[in-house]
Order: sequence, then structure tokens, then C-alpha cells
Amino acid sequence: MTPGGRAPRHVFRWDLDKTYLRTEFDSLKDLVKSAFEDPADKQAYPGATAILRSLRAADGHRICIVSGSPTQMRSVLAAKLALDGVEYDEFVLKDNLKNILRGRFRALRSQVPYKLPALLASRLGTAPAPAETMFGDDAEADAIIYSLYADVLAGRVAFADLERVLAAARAYDDEALRTLDLARRAPKGDVVRRIIIHLDRRSATMPFRRLGRRVVPVFNYFQAALVLYADGVLTARQVVFVALEMLDSRQFELGTLATSMQDLVRRGRLERDIALRLADEAAEAAAAGALAGRDGLPPFHTISQQFRERLRQLGGSATGAWIGGVDEPLDYVRLVDEEHARRRERRRDGHR
Amino acid sequence: MQRIVVDAMGGDHAPAAIVEGAAEASLAIPGAEIILVGDAVELGKLLPRVRHDGARVRVHHAPSLIEMDEKPAEALAAKPDASIAVAAELVAAGEGDALVSAGNTGAAVLAVARRWKLIPGVRRAALASVYPTELRRGDKDDPFSLLLDCGATLDATAEDLVTFAIMGSAYAKMISKNRRPRVALLSNGTEAGKGPAAVVRAHELLLEATELNFIGNVEGLDIPRGVADVVVCSGFVGNVVLKMLEGVSETILRLGRYAHKQNLTWRIGLAALKPALEQLKSVTDWEQYGGAPLLGLDHLFIKAHGRSSARAITNAVKVASKALSGDLCGTIATGMRDFADRAAKADIRAPGDPDGKVEAPT
Repeated sequence: MTPGGRAPRHVFRWDLDKTYLRTEFDSLKDLVKSAFEDPADKQAYPGATAILRSLRAADGHRICIVSGSPTQMRSVLAAKLALDGVEYDEFVLKDNLKNILRGRFRALRSQVPYKLPALLASRLGTAPAPAETMFGDDAEADAIIYSLYADVLAGRVAFADLERVLAAARAYDDEALRTLDLARRAPKGDVVRRIIIHLDRRSATMPFRRLGRRVVPVFNYFQAALVLYADGVLTARQVVFVALEMLDSRQFELGTLATSMQDLVRRGRLERDIALRLADEAAEAAAAGALAGRDGLPPFHTISQQFRERLRQLGGSATGAWIGGVDEPLDYVRLVDEEHARRRERRRDGHR
Repeated sequence: MQRIVVDAMGGDHAPAAIVEGAAEASLAIPGAEIILVGDAVELGKLLPRVRHDGARVRVHHAPSLIEMDEKPAEALAAKPDASIAVAAELVAAGEGDALVSAGNTGAAVLAVARRWKLIPGVRRAALASVYPTELRRGDKDDPFSLLLDCGATLDATAEDLVTFAIMGSAYAKMISKNRRPRVALLSNGTEAGKGPAAVVRAHELLLEATELNFIGNVEGLDIPRGVADVVVCSGFVGNVVLKMLEGVSETILRLGRYAHKQNLTWRIGLAALKPALEQLKSVTDWEQYGGAPLLGLDHLFIKAHGRSSARAITNAVKVASKALSGDLCGTIATGMRDFADRAAKADIRAPGDPDGKVEAPT
């Protein structure tokens, strides 16, 4: 239920580490540092807080956080979210202590056997929403897990296939049985509208195309805001607020935001016409005071011009149309196997 | 934020290697935006295949390109929308701060020379090239010396040679982290009176009107030894020297291959030397330098080698970024003003012909 007690219209499922929080946990030292870090020292990615607040502000929206961080981190993470003024409806963490006590060391690193049932249980635990949007990152297998979750709900994955996927993901038997049970009981529907993957590792975007148009890799939260605007989830005014938070962080400039928009259009993830419509609506929002008190910024028509110029620089070539071809059914066993191979390779090379 | 324009269509391995190199640079240089100029459709196919930062790699469409073997002036006239022309124009219009190209050298130099201005006091721009030497230099223990001019112009007056010395010294200070680069004039003898009139006069001017670490004249054999960190000569001489050094290096390689095929004893000998040869190769790897700067214009142009790999392009962008961070053009301008002041005090004619032109390279 939403705070008002009504059934949710739209559920937004968020990962935390490397999606909302800039977290380093690639080495044991990073893990220890992260565990003992003060909430005030933890850093959210620029724009992520503004998006979460905007999403939460709308009627019928529900925020569910499912993170792979251990349950012992709950108080620190909750304090950080409170400091950022982020409200949520559900906060699920991984009980790694239980895994250690039961000698389930494989489960400490496993992704699919933890996240998929957690997502399904979350959907079962409340009145089902007709729409869901999910936020993850490229550090782990979020794009695959979210796609699998979406296709399980949509009835596109047979239970026998799901069993094979769980085996490929090296789930323990009872984990697999529980996941299959949850998948049977979870309210069905083609409800996952969008999967936004924050490219923390700056991964190449091409491999995400095979997951279909639903999955959009983004380099930053301005791009996420543009996608959500195109999906009708955020207003132009809210996109402006996201942009302002990013400019305030000093990690972005108007130029880099304009280039981010160009990148999205070039990749066929944002239609040119929608980008232009946003510029018009953002101009109206600016005229209505959305940019009030921002002395450092040029007049909005100058900003708008800069963004239009970025589109013009693409020539007549980029229309913003999806260029990934027809969405094909996904072979999740192969995807999970490939992801495992990639992780092994990264560990071997000492990469993140 | 630095904005480094990259001609994505120029070079033997363009656009794939250029895009890959620029993409890597977007991750390696946090304070820079890379502007890739070229066929937007083609670039749009390549960028998603490589890791990069989408907020800091911009694409600027240019519908045509100049091939490596085209005649510079004719090609530029026939294709005003070629990637190198559009890239040079972007910098001239203030949309970019520096330019990197691995494309047709003549067309690139001509494109920037027609659109950019010479630094006050500079009469002719100079193309500088690095070459590996026996002695090393600077805080980085740099194995490369700088030779300029390598062919941006044919001839040079004494004042031009002094200008080249000032520009080369500023560049070596910044890029090699060499606090006091040793500057020398290339001549046919180390004595001050040896060489053509322009070299003799330049020798006097460098001693009287500059504070450079001028060590006098050097001969050709001193170049590979690394006696000087910056070797100054006219474009004609520099071009001949550079090509001769390249020729010698290629001949040695060919002789090595010949020896390898000729008999077993030589083959074993070469095999025993292989680790040392590999080490030598890595030390003198030109790709770590990325490219040769064209000095004397009001913006920075790094001419990367036509055969540049992605790594060479990344390094060329890094060199451009470093030169921008150190305000190389401003430093050269200051050096030229100092020279003019000293020359005036010493009642010596200083360079500064405002109509100075950059000629197509030899």
C-alpha cells in the first residue's frame, strides 16, 4: 500500500550500492571501510536524490529498495537516506550473517538466488501495481535479474526454464524451491515498464541492447530523468530539478548535461521530438520560477539553445529511434553463464 | 572544462581506433570533454562498443573526410565539410580548445593555419617531433628529445629559429617536466660561426636576447645521443633529418630480419637479445607520446601519427590536455613578449611580422 493506504499505481525498485550510493566494495579493504563509514560521509550520485524525491512525491508511487548490502548496515543506510530526505516504503537487505552461520559461502556473492526471490516476495507482499520501474547498476547482474523478474511476471519464462536458470546461477536447492514457489504465486502481468542501469563501471552500452528496449543503460541521472520524462513518469519541472542537483554537485556542467542528452538520442534511447518537447516544457517551468535563485546559470533560452545545438550537431542522422532490432525472447541460462564468466575474468584480471 | 576536438575520420585506422582512443581518454582525463568530429552514423555504431563516459564524449557530424593520400589544398577546397575542416573550425569558433588528428598531415596543418591565428610575435608556426635518444631528461626520465621545425615551413630566418627555440623549450618544460631544457641549433659544426647566416645570427640572438638554456650548436650525430633536449632547425632541414632517422631505424629492422633468416647462429644471437630489444622498443615507443604538436598558433594542434592505434590517440589527447592545463599557448606568448622586450633593450630586431603565414608542410 502507498502511504495513503491506496493500492500503488507504480512501484520503483532501487538497488543502493553503485546505483544510489557511490560505494567501493571491490576489495576487502573497501568493504570494511564502507561498513564503518559515517552516514554523512556516504555519497549519493548527483541527481539520484532528486529523482527519488520526485518519484516519491507523486500520488500512488511506492519506493522499494532491495540491496545486496548486509542487514548489519541497515541503520547506517537508513540514516543516510534520512539525511538525504529520501523516503521509502520497503527496505530489503541481504542476511549474509545467516549465510555465514549456515556455511553457505556461495550465497555471499550470489546475485540471482538472492535478488530474484526478494523482488518476487516484495511484489507478493503488497497490492500489485500495474507498473514498475527498476534501477540497478552494471557492477553486478542487475540488468539480467531485473529482466528475468519482468519476464517471469509477464509469463514469458516457463518454470522449467526458471529452474535451469537458478541452477546456472548456483542457487542452493531450498533457494531454488522458494524462488519457484514465489514465481508461481506472484501476481502476473507485463508490468515492468523500464529497467534503468546506472553505468558505474562505464561499461560499453552495446551488450545491453540484447536485453531489449526495456533496459536503458545510463551514464548519469540526468539521462535517467530524461528516460523517465519520456515514459511520462517525471515532469519537465522535475527533470529541471534533477539537472540543478547535478549542477550543484559541481561534477556536471550545462555542457556535460547537454552532451548526456545527445548521447541518449544518438543511442536511440530518447526520441529527438521528445527532447525538443522537454526543452519547451522546461522553458515554461523556468518561466514559472523553477530556476529561481540560480544566479550562476545563464538565461533559460540560452540553456535551451545549447541543448538544441547538441541535437543539431548530430546532423540529420540520429532520430532517436530504437536501433536494437526486434526484442527477442532472452536465453537467461546463457546470460547467467556469461555473467559468471565475466565476473571470473574481472577477478582474475584484478579489475572492478 | 577542457574541450578537446578529435578528428575521428583521419588516420590509417580511422574511425575505429580513433573512437576507441578518444573513448579511453574520456575515462582517463576527468576534466575534459572529447568532441568527436566525423560521420555521426558511423561514430554512433562504434561508440557503444567501447567503455567511455557518455556525458563527456560529444559527436559533431561532418559528412566527408580527406583521405591520407589526397593533395591538401585541393582536398580542402573540394570538401569544406570534411572532418578536419569542421574540427579546425570548431576550435576557431571557440567550441573547442585543442585539436587532435591522425589524418592527412598537409590537410590538417593547412586547415588549422587558415582558421587559427599566430601567437603575437610568431611569424611562422613549427611542427615539432619527438625522437628517442641515448640520454634521458626531466623529472619523467624522458627518453625523447624534441626536434622542430619538421616541415611546417621550408625556410626559416634567424628570428624564426629563435621563435622555434622559445616554443620548443616551453613545450619540453610542460610535457617532459624538464625544468630547464637544453636548447641547441642544428648546424654543421659546434662552433658559433659555423652554418648558414640565419643559424649564425640565431646563435647570437639566443645568447643575447633570451634566457633559454641555450647550449650552442649541435651536429647531426648529437641528435640520437640526446645532447640537447630541444633541437632547432628550419623545416626543410628538420624534415630531411626526421626522415633520415626513420630510414635508419627501418633499415636496422630490415637488417635484423635478414640476419634472422640468414643463418642459425645469428638467429640464436637475435633470440638471446630479444628481451633487451623488447625493452628498447618499449622505452622508445613513440605511441606513448601520441603525436607532434604544431606550435605557434593561438590554439593547440597535436598531429598524431597516421598509423596511430587507439593507445596513441589516447596519449595524444592526454598530451593536449596537459598542454591546455599548463596554458602552453599563453606560455609561448609570454616567452615571445620577453624576447621582444629583451631584443628592444639590446637594440636587436625581434620577430613579429603580423602577416606571417604557415605554409603547407613539405
